[in-house]
Amino acid sequence: MPPILRVENLHHTYSRQGPPVQALRGVDLTVEAGEYVALLGHNGSGKSTLARHLNALLLPDQGNVWVRQWNTRDPAHLRAIRSTVGMVFQHPDNQIVATIVEEEVAFGPENLGLDRSEIRRRVDEALAQVAMQPFRHRAPHLLSGGQKQRVCIAGVLAMQPQVLLLDEATAMLDPQGRRDLLALVARLHREQGVTVIAVTHFMQEAIDADRVVVLHEGRVALQGPPRWLFQQPEALRALQLDLPPASELAQALHRRFPAFPADRLTPEEVAIAVQTYRPLQPAPQSLPPLLPPPPRPPPLLELQHVAHFYMRGTPLEIQALSDVSLAVHPGEIVGVLGATGSGKSTAIQHCNGLLRAHAGRVRVLGQDLSDPKVDLRAVRRAVGLVFQLPETQLFEQYVGDDVAYGPRTLGLAHAQVRRRVQAAMAAVGLPFATFKDRVTWTLSGGEMRRAAIAGVLALEPQVLVLDEPTAGLDPQARQLLLRQLLDLQAQGCTLVLVSHNMDELASLCHRLAVIAEGRTALTGSPAEVFAQPALLRAFGLELPAMAQISEQLHSKELLPPTAAFYTLTQAEATISQLLAGPGKEPG
Amino acid sequence: MSEFEFLRNVTVGQYLPTNSPVHRLDPRTKLLLALLVVLAATSTTSPLATLLLLGVLGGVTGVAQLDARYVLRGLLPVAPFLLFLMVMQLLFQGRFSLCSTVWYEWHFVRVTPCLLELVLLGALRLLLFLFVLSLLTLTTTAAYLLHGIEQLLGPLQRIGLPVHEFALANIIALRFVPTIAEELERVAKAQVSRGGEFGGEPWYRPDRVARARLPLLVPLFVNTLRRAEELVVAMQARSYLGAQGRSRFVELRLRPADWGALLLGGALLLLVWRLA
Repeated sequence: MPPILRVENLHHTYSRQGPPVQALRGVDLTVEAGEYVALLGHNGSGKSTLARHLNALLLPDQGNVWVRQWNTRDPAHLRAIRSTVGMVFQHPDNQIVATIVEEEVAFGPENLGLDRSEIRRRVDEALAQVAMQPFRHRAPHLLSGGQKQRVCIAGVLAMQPQVLLLDEATAMLDPQGRRDLLALVARLHREQGVTVIAVTHFMQEAIDADRVVVLHEGRVALQGPPRWLFQQPEALRALQLDLPPASELAQALHRRFPAFPADRLTPEEVAIAVQTYRPLQPAPQSLPPLLPPPPRPPPLLELQHVAHFYMRGTPLEIQALSDVSLAVHPGEIVGVLGATGSGKSTAIQHCNGLLRAHAGRVRVLGQDLSDPKVDLRAVRRAVGLVFQLPETQLFEQYVGDDVAYGPRTLGLAHAQVRRRVQAAMAAVGLPFATFKDRVTWTLSGGEMRRAAIAGVLALEPQVLVLDEPTAGLDPQARQLLLRQLLDLQAQGCTLVLVSHNMDELASLCHRLAVIAEGRTALTGSPAEVFAQPALLRAFGLELPAMAQISEQLHSKELLPPTAAFYTLTQAEATISQLLAGPGKEPG
Repeated sequence: MSEFEFLRNVTVGQYLPTNSPVHRLDPRTKLLLALLVVLAATSTTSPLATLLLLGVLGGVTGVAQLDARYVLRGLLPVAPFLLFLMVMQLLFQGRFSLCSTVWYEWHFVRVTPCLLELVLLGALRLLLFLFVLSLLTLTTTAAYLLHGIEQLLGPLQRIGLPVHEFALANIIALRFVPTIAEELERVAKAQVSRGGEFGGEPWYRPDRVARARLPLLVPLFVNTLRRAEELVVAMQARSYLGAQGRSRFVELRLRPADWGALLLGGALLLLVWRLA
């Protein structure tokens, strides 16, 4: 059988605005029907450009792209090509056309000119495949992010494509939404033989693929099955990518114990490898007790039994929060977890008085915000709030001006504004001298995000609250941002992080609060919170990869419950004790 | 209610689903009936006939299972304008009245029975148009109204009018209203969090109001344009190549009830003409 996609010496240069950017410089790639290919690469590596060539959204400057037997340059086959390769994008909000779910799914088949009974049959079938039939008459904006993305997939499936092309389709979803979507894609691939091409920043997602293709500077830099590819950590790091967490642990253990297989990719595989490793130390029965938490100064920021209603006093009233409590002490990093729609974004908007508690109280720096005498502007200076995708809120032409907005609004003197802007930009790793006169929209995604955070830092807040700070960033930008957040904390800034990324929260936070259905469902140290896997999963969350390994080792009775771990360092140390073999005392 | 919340849950053309027989009518039927009623009202000078039409609309409200008070409350905001209009007519229209009987005269003010009839008729007509319009939007979703308009005007596509594009553009606009409202809310909150003020500029300083709104509008425009660009790509990816060769999923079918309603509408028009 001929390959379903064939790319030959593909070049593409963007020259519409500004200096020409060479996005692709000679890509060769063949995809066989029924393959599952993951496309990795840092931001600007050309992977989205390549994806857009695969269904003729872009045409080659040089080279050729064939979909089945059709060359994408031939406009006569445009409809055939685009219905063969169905594409799902990152932001569901920006790809939905209609105001009703079933009309949205019908949009593609309508464009193919199918007759009505056939469209209806396909809409029914597509909605059934993504389990969205109960929502067929809903308005899309009332759905969650994961549900919207499933509707988008249904819209593509209704065109009966042979190739499903996902362009970072999971980037904005919560753990449950992502898990459901990946399971759906895996099922379509397995049961219906759909060819899948997944562009992603998440290394874990590449594990499901038959083959991983890494793009770098517009060329294919590395490709192979994931098990082989993730054994090349140096090569991957040079390409600005990282390893799936379980793989990183397996390789660390392999370095210490050469008999331990380095090619394990998932938490399950690592747990099984530990179980079958011989000689194996019997489970350590006692471990040093956990240190008691240090005495803490009174909280800087405290929500006590906060409730909040939207559209209060109208027939459309919705209770968003029923009972949320959260205390943030000076110098801490507190993580807030929760599925989409759990109320966590509503909760953090109480931290600086953007929303008023309808019940309960909010105290900031010892002041009760319900007191009308409290100066809200002072509160907002003390508690800096960074919203999701803060780069979409930049409004000045030059980075320096945008960062200066806050201090200027405070009415500070010029020299002081300058000092604050310099300090804020330095704190996020954007040197003032080089970046102050850069035009905001010429920055890379990661730089824009950091510039936006600098805009809040310029107010010199005592507490910085960040909503999904790393969402949508590539691995390197993510690492850099996290390092800078840790630096900030070291300089005395208290942090509250709202995130879907369990691995991130596990490695950074001193304490965690889980919000579910509008209330604080669970609080405690990461160890305490991650000791409740069943509860977390019921709330649409997941354990960090390391805690999953820990959980599996418990169930195999290789570890006592007191020896739970959730970070890479802990995992390496604990499992090393198990692997050290009899005769050696764990130390 | 929070100071930012007015931006959320924007409803365009208030739709109240009660699943009544009126709701179930084909949107084309409802559009045509609305046209018939407007035509009847504009082609008669009899206040009696106009009152009859208002009565019929009241009856439709009942059949549609809508609370008449709710519908009337929607008309309340226009009451001052209506009153103003009536007073002006009463003051200045009298001189052109053709009636010979004069009830009251003072300088240029001249009140005659014909004038009173004219003023009353004008007010009733305006009320009637608003009533028809709100009934239409209360019983039909905006999307279905657009599907109806698209199909009614469909023949004009053949002479080159972009009827399909017009309908699609409007549906997309409707679809993005809540999204952009949410975005505006988020940008406003982000700015307040950075020490900005939301509102509070004195009204007599429009320059300061504009200056304060600019930081709000820039990201909103940039993001909306970016969304538009992404949407275009997404539509192309789903084989959208314009109206040509495209079929239609939403099926509008005229049922016996629709034919019945149209017949009744026609009869009403004839009756009104007889009364005049």
